[in-house]
Amino acid sequence: MTETEPTAASRRSIRPGGWFGIFGEQASVLLPPSEKRRVAALWELVDDGAGFDEVLDALLSSGLRDLPGFVLLSETEGPVKVVLRGPVKATFYTADEEISLDGSVAATWVERSLEGVTRSVIEVEDAPEGDELTLAAGLVRVARVEDPPVSADTGSAVGVESEDSTGFETGPAEPAPEPGPELEETEPETEPLPPPEPMPEPTPEPEAHPDPAAPAPPAPGGWAPAPPPGGSEHDGMTRAGDWDPLEFARQQPGIPGQQPAPSVVAKPVARLVISSGETVEVDRAVLVGRAPEARRFTSSEQPRLVTVPSPNQEISSTHLEVRPGSGADHGSAVVTDMGSTNGTVLVQPGLPPEDLQPGIAVQLIPGAIIDLGDGVTIQVTNP
Amino acid sequence: MSKVEVHYGATSDVGRVRQVNEDSYLASPPVFVVADGMGGHSGGDVASRIVIEEFAELVDSAHDPRGGAAAVAELLERAQSRINQYGIEQRLTGAEKWYAGTTAVVALLVEDDGVPKWLLANVGDSRIYRFSDGALEQVSVDHSVVQELVDAGTIAADDVASHPERHVVTRALGGPDDAEADYFLLPLVSVERLLLCSDGINGMIDDDTIAEVLGDVGDPRDAADRLVAAALDAGGRDNATAVVVDVVGLLSDDAYDSAPLHVSLEHKLGALP
Repeated sequence: MTETEPTAASRRSIRPGGWFGIFGEQASVLLPPSEKRRVAALWELVDDGAGFDEVLDALLSSGLRDLPGFVLLSETEGPVKVVLRGPVKATFYTADEEISLDGSVAATWVERSLEGVTRSVIEVEDAPEGDELTLAAGLVRVARVEDPPVSADTGSAVGVESEDSTGFETGPAEPAPEPGPELEETEPETEPLPPPEPMPEPTPEPEAHPDPAAPAPPAPGGWAPAPPPGGSEHDGMTRAGDWDPLEFARQQPGIPGQQPAPSVVAKPVARLVISSGETVEVDRAVLVGRAPEARRFTSSEQPRLVTVPSPNQEISSTHLEVRPGSGADHGSAVVTDMGSTNGTVLVQPGLPPEDLQPGIAVQLIPGAIIDLGDGVTIQVTNP
Repeated sequence: MSKVEVHYGATSDVGRVRQVNEDSYLASPPVFVVADGMGGHSGGDVASRIVIEEFAELVDSAHDPRGGAAAVAELLERAQSRINQYGIEQRLTGAEKWYAGTTAVVALLVEDDGVPKWLLANVGDSRIYRFSDGALEQVSVDHSVVQELVDAGTIAADDVASHPERHVVTRALGGPDDAEADYFLLPLVSVERLLLCSDGINGMIDDDTIAEVLGDVGDPRDAADRLVAAALDAGGRDNATAVVVDVVGLLSDDAYDSAPLHVSLEHKLGALP
């Protein structure tokens, strides 16, 4: 039976559920089912012996906004540090009181550091009485976690009663008993439960454990994270702040579903020989027209403006754009009609002439001829 | 580079409500700047002045007109770090909640591909308009919450003037926000008249009124005065600054006649084979 094992090998008992429980040497994390994508990375961290602070950093690295709830618990000696967020409840029992924490009462999170905790119960979902599985470390779906394990009959186990049954041992009025005769009293009650059969020792995890003498977590001094900066500093009319950058994260202008083109490339992808005699390398966006304009570019990607004569005004002021292609067009140039009045005709070698559709980029083959009207043509060659 | 002759006028007013004018401007060819500071006394006014001081360098020194957007970006970056540095000093002297930021709009005459052009840049919600052929067009795109909402299709352009967050900028120099500017490069011929203004102008009078003033008033100095006066008449709830620039002519250094002759006199006279 497992009771011969030292307590470290069966630190807690759990009831199965939907949340992810990640239990390690130094810290444990509970995450809601929606946060599945984070679980693997956190498990790796926790299993490598990451401390409370390190795990908290990892949890918050992408911000608090998209993390609806979590529980983080230190597993080291000394005071129990806990952080709760979202619809989770935790109850801690010390020698003379019971402390209940509810993550949903705070907008950000609830954090406590508790001395002398003898027993803890964390509930993340409704967990009907039932199978209690004991577990040392590992990654498992849970609804409720109790530490020390229910019905673990090593001397250190106390307060086996779960707080939602008769309650004869709970409540601040009745201090949680120290290991002693009372234990015997409670034991029969839990006995009927399906016996916590020698829980298959959490699979390969124990081996993966680092040396138990892993480096101690950083001193608790600086562990409290600063609240996220907020608020708007403003004065008068114009002001800054108070908006969410993610809200406005939108696709780059360009073709939906296609990566935005690299605006400036190291080596030109094509050379344009313009009938007016000019030659232009395509290593960035090139705008061609009667009086071309470049709009809303960043300082590092200033486009090249090429002015072509148009005595009959057939060519539009900003007629077309040639730029290095991206995605499937990577390595070649693409041409886009910028909504010109009289349109653009493209003749590619071996293909019939085509009218460019405004705003639709077309890949250019060396040898292609672009006709802007008014006798102006652009020949595309290799750089 | 061929010289560009410009006429310009600039006016700034504290408005009817505010105590401090936190707007600053620079109107000195080849560079024109309007900066709208935020943060209150010895905050926003200092921030906007720092921007002006940085860009004044373009006036005094022989700046390379071909530097383009990268040169402007460098000055904006320097202004940004000076504002942040100033902020650190202020906070060290006890003003814990001290904050200052500023918008900036810049119009710089540059040489691109051997031709003079307007390089325009904006950070925040101050604006650059161009007036050509009797039509007013807003060139810069505001870095503001409402503009983002319009772009996203969340609200209609008509609702902007009444939106509660219409004064919230999403980019500013010196603030916690992104300070990267957007740039625009326009040929001189497409711009008869440029207007750089703080939101004390376009927030108080609509584009039709601005177009009317720019179309009616010939002298750019009078046009700037009239725009600020109109903003004050409409309530003057914010500092109002307008800079109006007209390109009146290109003075070419190399006159056509002085182009080097490819045929020597000896050739012409038949003295050489």
